[in-house]
Amino acid sequence: MSLTNAGAIANQSLGTIAAQINVVSRNIAGVNVSGYATKTALVSTTSNGGTQINGVARATNAALFQNSLQASATQAAASALSSGFDQIDQALGLSSGTATNTSTNRSPAALLSALQSALQSYSASPSDTTVAQTVLSSAKAVAQALNTASTTVQQLRAQADGEIATSVANINSILTQFQQVNTEVVAGTQAGRDVTSALDQRDALLKSLSSEIGVTTVTRANNDMVIYADGGATLFETSPRSVTFQASASYTASTTGNAVYVDGVPVTGASASMPLQSGKLQGLTQLRDVVAPQYQSQLDETARGLIASFAETDQSGLGGSVPGLFTYSGATSVPGASVIPGLAGDIIVNPNADPSQGGNLDRLRDGGISDPTNSAYVYNTTGAAGFTDRINQLVASFSTAQSFDSSAGLGSSQSLMDYATSSLGWFEAQRQQATDTESYQSTLLSQTTDALSNSSGVNLDEQMSKMLDLENSYQASAKLISAIDAMYTALFQAL
Amino acid sequence: MTASALFNTSVMGMSAQTTALSAVAENISNSSTVGYKEATTQFQTLLTSFQGGSDADGGVSASNVVEVTKSGNMTSTTSSTDLAIQGDGFFVVSDTGGNTFLTRAGSFLPDSTGRLVNSAGYYLMGYSSSVASAPTDPSGLEAVTIPYGKEIGTASTEGSLTANLPSTADTINAADLPSANASTSTYSKKTSVTAYDNLGNPVTLDVYFSKTSSNSWEMSVFDASTATNGGFPYSSGAITTQSLTFSATDGSITGGASASIAVPNGSTLSLDLSGLTQLGSTFSVSNPTINGNAASPVSSVSIAKDGTLSYVLGNGKSVSAYKIPLGTVASPTNLQAQSGNTFAVTKESGAAYLGDANSGTMGAIGSDQLEGSTVDLATQLSNMIVAQRSFSANSQVFQVASELMQVLNNLK
Repeated sequence: MSLTNAGAIANQSLGTIAAQINVVSRNIAGVNVSGYATKTALVSTTSNGGTQINGVARATNAALFQNSLQASATQAAASALSSGFDQIDQALGLSSGTATNTSTNRSPAALLSALQSALQSYSASPSDTTVAQTVLSSAKAVAQALNTASTTVQQLRAQADGEIATSVANINSILTQFQQVNTEVVAGTQAGRDVTSALDQRDALLKSLSSEIGVTTVTRANNDMVIYADGGATLFETSPRSVTFQASASYTASTTGNAVYVDGVPVTGASASMPLQSGKLQGLTQLRDVVAPQYQSQLDETARGLIASFAETDQSGLGGSVPGLFTYSGATSVPGASVIPGLAGDIIVNPNADPSQGGNLDRLRDGGISDPTNSAYVYNTTGAAGFTDRINQLVASFSTAQSFDSSAGLGSSQSLMDYATSSLGWFEAQRQQATDTESYQSTLLSQTTDALSNSSGVNLDEQMSKMLDLENSYQASAKLISAIDAMYTALFQAL
Repeated sequence: MTASALFNTSVMGMSAQTTALSAVAENISNSSTVGYKEATTQFQTLLTSFQGGSDADGGVSASNVVEVTKSGNMTSTTSSTDLAIQGDGFFVVSDTGGNTFLTRAGSFLPDSTGRLVNSAGYYLMGYSSSVASAPTDPSGLEAVTIPYGKEIGTASTEGSLTANLPSTADTINAADLPSANASTSTYSKKTSVTAYDNLGNPVTLDVYFSKTSSNSWEMSVFDASTATNGGFPYSSGAITTQSLTFSATDGSITGGASASIAVPNGSTLSLDLSGLTQLGSTFSVSNPTINGNAASPVSSVSIAKDGTLSYVLGNGKSVSAYKIPLGTVASPTNLQAQSGNTFAVTKESGAAYLGDANSGTMGAIGSDQLEGSTVDLATQLSNMIVAQRSFSANSQVFQVASELMQVLNNLK
């Protein structure tokens, strides 16, 4: 214990307090920065009884951070799926009106129902051409609605495909940045430098990565981080692994989208051995490969059911059934009960019944739409103006059970009307579920983010009180130095 | 005692106090010198004769002694090559002529050739960490040289992989196993790890795990750079294929717990697989570690408590390079102080011997620290006042003796 030592301790104290106030100042600057974790200066006692700064520590909560990564990945997947449903919904006006109001509700089910009631009116006055015209335009609206729905679904798939490509490019660029920051963290940790800012940066990158693709992380010696996709494929280990995806230029109902590969492993699609569990990428592939194709199959089956319901049979009993009012290009016979990819996009109203295309409206009543030259398919052989058998047959066919392909997910036997309604119901249920999941995950994400921010974010009150403490200590140390100086002065005066 | 002897005694007194003052002056001027040890003055009586209990002509002699074993206060610095010893022991340094000395002044900085030299021009001595047995005396040491900017790469030789393989995975047909390396090859799970070849090039190894039957797996390792569009077939076959068997009772590995992998253009990597488990959970890799490092320039050094000096490379890896031993002698107080805060070994002190820092009697080496001077200014100032007063008193005695002589001379 000596005066020199006392002076040295007071001097060290000034330096230590200056370093601490520097940390407080960083914290105050970071108070509104998202992802900023509170820093604390590590102070210890030196061998002469003074103090020294050993480094800067960063408040972290690994479990909460891991939760927030997971929440953001799950939320991103739900959000991608939900926005896809919303898009179809808006394009078809599915939920914008009641089921009967066909001016806003353009769903196949609503339009089929409108066609059915038009036919019922026609049955009451089979000689009225105005009513026949209404039947024709209702039939056209149904065909058009199926065409639009099919196009929209395929556009959505193409759009999801494009977004997958963007997401993959984004993941690759984040991983490249991650490598730089990770190298800095490892080098800094080894050299004993303050790496807390780099750690903040690395966490922010992980956060943005997790919204693209679900991840799990492992921290090795010297803060070196390894990232795995949530299915187990390696994303980053010392160097970034390549994430590859071949975008498809255009989509039809029979197109199968390409899989995303992480480190050579397919992580999406039917053949994925280590499939992704969450993240925007998973939501988009779910939309492109599962949900949209299934809805397309239902539309195709609705179209096929419609063609079958309006099919004309050979009245002489010799030939088979052929497509009647509803047909598609290249049609020769009525297709059997299995999904024909893209049929909903191809379905048209037969021009033989359309006066604007050289057809005859009376054929709606009389039959023979399939081939006007073949009298075998004419139901009204006498040409009577009051003939309603064929119209009544058509009205009944809407509610007669027929076979559907069960792979579309709506059972194998029900009436056309019921099928169209269940398809709409299926879609609305899926959409509702996606919206609910998304809002639940969003709430969870914001709660997790709050919890993380509460545990590692900056508490301004705490920092202010720390600042006052440091200010007092600094004043006391300065006072000590002046006291030591006074003591030396006394000694010099004694000489 | 004769009157004339008074002159002698008082002159000796003045001379002794001058010696004390010189120690004070030296101490004050070195009060900020790193590694300086305070000099203290020791006074002793000096008698010309001794006769039967009666006091004879007496005097005093003084000598300055350096308090070698006292340690100064540690001060923090920001240079990793500033070293201080907490505890006993000295750094072994050498001058340009190759003579070795001991010192506690550790403010080393690299010179133009990378040798660590302190402010007094002495080179820090150590030995390469690759030597088989540590030298025991200073003659076996070399100057520590840090090759800043030199590229260093280390081949991977050992590592470990801890992971869980899902017990529920589907069995892969023998013909489709990755070891067949066919375009139809398939696998249960895959991971990849980075190893380094002899030249420090990173080599990515694709590690495939395929379930062959219940509780039996096959692990195949491929060089990722030979893959076809990231998958099978690889242009060169599997580097290693190993059968793994797991316990049916607790899922731990029972066979094939260690694999040796010949890294392409590199060493044989011994991979510890004892952490593998096969449980009814998902595939997860929890701790892949492989040693070695990519070629990268030396950017800084870190020195551990036990004196291990490691190069820190640009990519963050650290490579152990030197060991800095501490030296000491049987009687440190008998060391001879030299310029530049060094001490030379003398016959009285005994020969210098070496030991590892932070073990036995040797202190720990602290990096980013310096040992300050042991001098306390206040003590020196008070010592100075005492010496000054003492000198004045002796001069008074001299004056009285001179007056006595004058009285004697006037007796004639």
